This record gives sequence, structure tokens and C-alpha cells, in this order.
Amino acid sequence: MATLNTAFSIATGALEAEQAAVNVIANNTANANTPGYTNQLPEWQANDPVTIGEVAYGQGVTMTGPSSQRDLVLEQRIQQQMQLQQGTDARQGALEQVQNIFSSAAAASSSHASLDIGAGISGFFSALSQLQSNPADNSLRQSVLSAASTLANSFQSASSQLAQQQGSLDQQSGTIVTQVNSLTQAIAQLNAQISQTSGNTDAGQLEDQRQYDIQQLSKLIGVHQIKTEDNGLTITTSSGALLVSKGQSFSLQTSVSGGVTHIYDYQGSDITASVSGGGGQLGGILTVRDQDIPQMQSALDTLAFDLGTTINNQNALGSDANGAAGGPVFNLPGTASGAASSISVAITDPAKIAAAASGNGSSDDTNLESMLQLQNQGIIGGETPSGYYSRFVSTLGSLVSQISTENTAQQASLTQLQTQRNSLSAVNLNDQAAALENLQQAYQAASKVFTILDTIMASAINLGVQTSVA
Amino acid sequence: MRFDPFYLNNAVASLDQTSAIEQQLTNEISSGKRVNSLSDDPVAVGENVLLNSQLNLDDSFSQTESSTVGMLQVADSALGSVVSQLTRALTLATEGNNGTLNASDLQSISMELSGIRDEVLALANTTYMNRYIFSGSQGSTSSYSLDSTVTPNTVTYHGDSVTSYVLTPNGQKIQANVPGNQIFSDPVNNVLQTLNNLVADFSSGTASATSVSDTTALNAALNHVSQQRVGIDNSITQLQSAQNYIQTEGTQIASAQTDLMQADVAQVSTQLSSAETQQAALTQVINILEKNNGNLFSLL
Repeated sequence: MATLNTAFSIATGALEAEQAAVNVIANNTANANTPGYTNQLPEWQANDPVTIGEVAYGQGVTMTGPSSQRDLVLEQRIQQQMQLQQGTDARQGALEQVQNIFSSAAAASSSHASLDIGAGISGFFSALSQLQSNPADNSLRQSVLSAASTLANSFQSASSQLAQQQGSLDQQSGTIVTQVNSLTQAIAQLNAQISQTSGNTDAGQLEDQRQYDIQQLSKLIGVHQIKTEDNGLTITTSSGALLVSKGQSFSLQTSVSGGVTHIYDYQGSDITASVSGGGGQLGGILTVRDQDIPQMQSALDTLAFDLGTTINNQNALGSDANGAAGGPVFNLPGTASGAASSISVAITDPAKIAAAASGNGSSDDTNLESMLQLQNQGIIGGETPSGYYSRFVSTLGSLVSQISTENTAQQASLTQLQTQRNSLSAVNLNDQAAALENLQQAYQAASKVFTILDTIMASAINLGVQTSVA
Repeated sequence: MRFDPFYLNNAVASLDQTSAIEQQLTNEISSGKRVNSLSDDPVAVGENVLLNSQLNLDDSFSQTESSTVGMLQVADSALGSVVSQLTRALTLATEGNNGTLNASDLQSISMELSGIRDEVLALANTTYMNRYIFSGSQGSTSSYSLDSTVTPNTVTYHGDSVTSYVLTPNGQKIQANVPGNQIFSDPVNNVLQTLNNLVADFSSGTASATSVSDTTALNAALNHVSQQRVGIDNSITQLQSAQNYIQTEGTQIASAQTDLMQADVAQVSTQLSSAETQQAALTQVINILEKNNGNLFSLL
């Protein structure tokens, strides 16, 4: 048989449960704007009934604890998309700086920036063309030399700006590795706390923090996560280098090799190349540093080397103003590698331009004509010098434009995922207000029950005499 | 029904986007340029490089052209003088051959012919900007020298037979000189040697046996010089028409470049105006949302 005492204890339990639930709501409301916070729902459980004489009597309610509204699969999708998008975003940012080096290609000819390679090439051939009118003229020859030097400088300037850009990306990569290491440490600590406190259930706010940290980590570097026992997470780079296992983090190391920062895992293996393809800001930056800029450098090297060599060869076929055989016009390295950064004008005496065909006098321009024809010949891998440079800037522009489009698409997809996550996990203040309203009423009801029970109990004690015990 | 409680942030992100579009359009209008970085229109930038290169070459050709035409005109007027000198020489030689003149007359004809020879020689050594224009490729060497120690006098050519050409930006090759040995000492129509021979023919006061054939040769030489002069005139005409063509081409390229790279102000203004409308609408939406963003809490 149920007793009044049982009813008291049910009412008291209800008051406690309501209070605990209000606590959850208050916490939700307080954390409405906390990054990574997941909305918590109070969970209710009816207490086991007591069966007396085949009649089951309810024993009230317990608030079994807040449960986080979390979808780990969705969180992981966001983290993966974040790696992709941040990789593309970082690459786009770096490439936009790179394309600024060549922005004078978009200028009209009247406003040539001083060191545009395209203007340098056509300027050189223009100077050669003007020399045709009087091949023996010293001032025209001098202007060929200064055009040659402008051309060489434009190569050097572009090449050194690319190298500077590469250097600053290199520094950034070092900084990012430091941030990665501090995040993996934090995740390892959270792993340890979570395995101690929550076993295999959702770890609530600790899980919030861990997911948030993994998301921050995903901005920086491509990672994989593997769930282990005791709610632990093993985190590796996307290529498999261990970063976090249980309560232990494994720092990435950096060291400079061959002029660039290389990244090593805790075992000392060089993982630079795989990190570069793995996404995250580090992946994007390393892709530009190790792939995009070297490709551009190599294209400029080819242009400088092939153009310089062909002009040198042609000059060597002719006779200079003094009747001597022509020598090289440009100093070039032995192979194309590094040609753009080191090309320079080899001659200071304008007479040494071999305008005449071999053996002809100084007024002849036969060899000059052949040199001039080079601009229309496919001397750079089958393309004309201006054509090659035109394709170079066009390719660079297309790359930036393509990466920017990718970034926009990936950002859109990321926003959708985040919207999904927010609609599930973010704190909806209206819901909180409604819940609070419900809880308030339930609390008031439980109090009322308590008051009435109190009166009933008094009646019971006084056996109907109302004044003795109030 | 679940929704993203941070929808206001998304609205603000859209607002940022329209602001970025406005900034881009304003930039296009203020710079007048449609393409401000390579990625704006990679193909247009690539073409722009080629157009700039063509314009640059066209510009430099006009200087080459005017300077080469200057030289050819000097050559032409030198040959013009040579023709009138030779015409006078032909008259003198014909007089000397008609058998009516006495010895002193013939000697003075010889003297006058010798003066004409000197004049033609000087014209053959014409320079333009310190360049001997009839020396082939040997522009720094005087074209001819006279040896007056032998009779008849002889001339020696110090130049060579090299013909030079000017290459137009379109690849046309235009002859830019005629070597002296094609004009003044051609093996068949040797102008200077024929003059020397005639000087010698009449110098003794009696017309020598070769004077008639030398006069015929002089006539042929005169025609030869006129022909060579036509060649030079042709070069001048070719250069001038190439220059006209290139100027027209330059105008077309410049206008193509404008079409390619310049902002269409009317179009950009329209885009800007619609971006502004969108911006205003978004601002209004955000304004309303913010006012009503008081949630149920405000009603508790």
C-alpha cells in the first residue's frame, strides 16, 4: 500500500529533478554563443515502480542527466570538409599573392610597369628592330643592350619575388606546425579525461571541447580519427603519421633541409610530401610552396634559358661592329635550372652585338634579321617567346580562378554542413525559453503537490482537528 | 522543425558578399579596367600580353621606317644627281664625237668630263648619319677611291655586295640598300670606268678610236643607274605602305585591347546598381530580424 511518505518523496524527487533540469537549461542559455558547445537536453526517467499486492505504484521521476545533441558522423563530415576547404583557401590566398607579381601583364601597353617580362621580351626585340635602320649606330646598339638588361632584370625580379613568396610560406608552415602540436596536446589531455570520466557514454562538454579542437586541427592539417575503447580517439595525419593516441600526443618536428622547412613525424620520417597533399592550411601552403611556385620558377627558367641561349647562339653566328665573331649576349647557367634568377647581360660594349652576317661589314643587318625572326619562331618548347609568356600568365590566372571556384564550392558545402550541425546541436533560445516555461510550471505543480500533501499529513496527524498542527 | 539558430550570421555573410561585389565593381569603374588581376579573366590577360608585344613592335617599326626611308631618300636624291650629271656627260661625249671640234675644245670636254667623274665619285661616296650608303655592309669605309696615276684613271670599290633588308613586324623583307658595285661599277654597265675612259678618250685633243663605243656604253650606264634608282624608289614606297598598314593595325589592336580589358562603364554601373539594391534589401532584412530577434525569453 502506498503511503503519504512515498507521495512526499515523489514530490521532493520531482522538485529536485526540475531543479536539475533548470540547471541544464541555464547552462545551455549561458553557452548559447560558445563555439563548439552542443545543446544539452535534460533526460527524464520514471523511477521503478514498487509492486505491492500485485499493484504497481509509481515512484516519481529522476533527471538522469543532460545528454548532448550530437551527431558524431556529421561532426566528422564537417572536419573533413574543413580540411578540404581550408587547404584550398590557403592555396588561393598564397596564389593570389603570386599572381600579383605578374599583374602588369593585365596592364595596357601605354602604362608598362617597369619590370614586366612580356614587355621585356617585346622591348628587346623592338630594340633589335630599331637597330635595323642603322646597324652600325652606337646609340641604337646601346639601346639594344639596355633592353637586354631590362629583360634580364625582369626575369630576376619575378624570380626573386617568387622566392620571397616561397620563403614567407615556409615560415608560415613552421608556425602552423607549432599550432598543430599544441592542439594535439590538448586533444590527448581531453582523451585522458574522457576515458577516466565517461567510459563509453557521450562525454558532454569534454566531448564538445574535443570535437572543437579536432575541428581547429582540421583547419590546420589533414587528419584521420579512429575511435578506440574507453571513448578515446586516435588521430593521425591523413597519410597515417600518428599525432594522438589515448592520453599521449606525438609532436611533429620541423627542420630546414635544402633551404625549405621539412616536417617529420615523431619517428623522424619525412612526411612533408604527404602532408602537402592532405589538406588543411598546411597542405594548401605546402602545395603552393612545393608544387605551384616551383612549377612557375621552372617555366620562367625555361623561358629565360631557351630565349637567352637562342639569342646567344644567333649572336655567335654573326660578326660584331668590329668584324669579330659574336659572343654570348646573356650570362646563363649550364642548365635551365635557376636561369631566371641568374640571367644577366654578358656584354658591356655595344659593338659586340653581332648584327652582321659572319664576315660582313658593320652596316649589314643580316644576322640581326635572323635574331629578330626568333621572336616569331617556336624557340621555347615550340612556342614563341611572347606566346610562351602569354600562356604562362594565362595558366597562372586560370589556376587562381579555378582554385577560387573550388574554394567557393567547398565553402558552400561546408556552410551547409555547419547549418545542419547548428540545427541539431546549437542552442535554440526559443526552445530553452519554452523548456524553462514547462519546467517552471512542473516545479510549481510539484510544490503545490507538496503543500497539499503537507495539509493532508497535518490532517492525518491531528485526526481531523485542524488547529493542532498546521 | 529544426533550424540553424545562427541564421542571422548567414544573412550577415550574404551582406559581406554583396559588399565584396560592390567593392569589385567600384574598383572596375574607378580604374576603368575590367581585368585587374590575372584570375579575373586569364584568357584576356594572355591575349593582352600578345597584343602589347605586337603594339610594342609596331611602335618601334615606325621609327625604323622613318630612319630607313630617310636614308633611302638620300640615296635616291644622290642617284638623281648622278643621272643629271651623266646626262650632261652624254651630251659632252656626243659633241666630242661629232668631229667638228678642235683639240682645245676636246680637251676642255675632257676636263669637264673629269669634273663630272669627280662629282659622280663624290655622290657614290654619299654618307647618311656617318654611314657610306653605297658600300654594302662596309658602311664605315668610303665606297670608292680614284687612282689618277694611270691613264685612263681607275676607281677601286672598297665596299662589298651585301644587300641588307628591313624586316617589318609582319615578316615582310624590304630591301634597304643597293651596294655601290651594282650602281657605279657594275661589270656590264660600269659608270665610273666609262667616265674615266671618256676622260682619257678626249684628253689628248683628238677623239680616240674607242670614244664612240664608250659614249654608247655611257648611255647604257645612264639607263642602268635610272633602273637602280627605281629599285630604291620601290623600297621607299614599300616601307611607307608597310608603315601605313602597321599604323592601321596598331589602331585596331589598341581598340581590340580596349574591348578586351576595359570596363564597360554602363554595364558595370548597372551591375553596381543591382548590387546596391540587393545590399539595401539585405540590410532591411537584417534590421527586421534584429528587431524581432528577441526570442521567447522576452515574453517570459
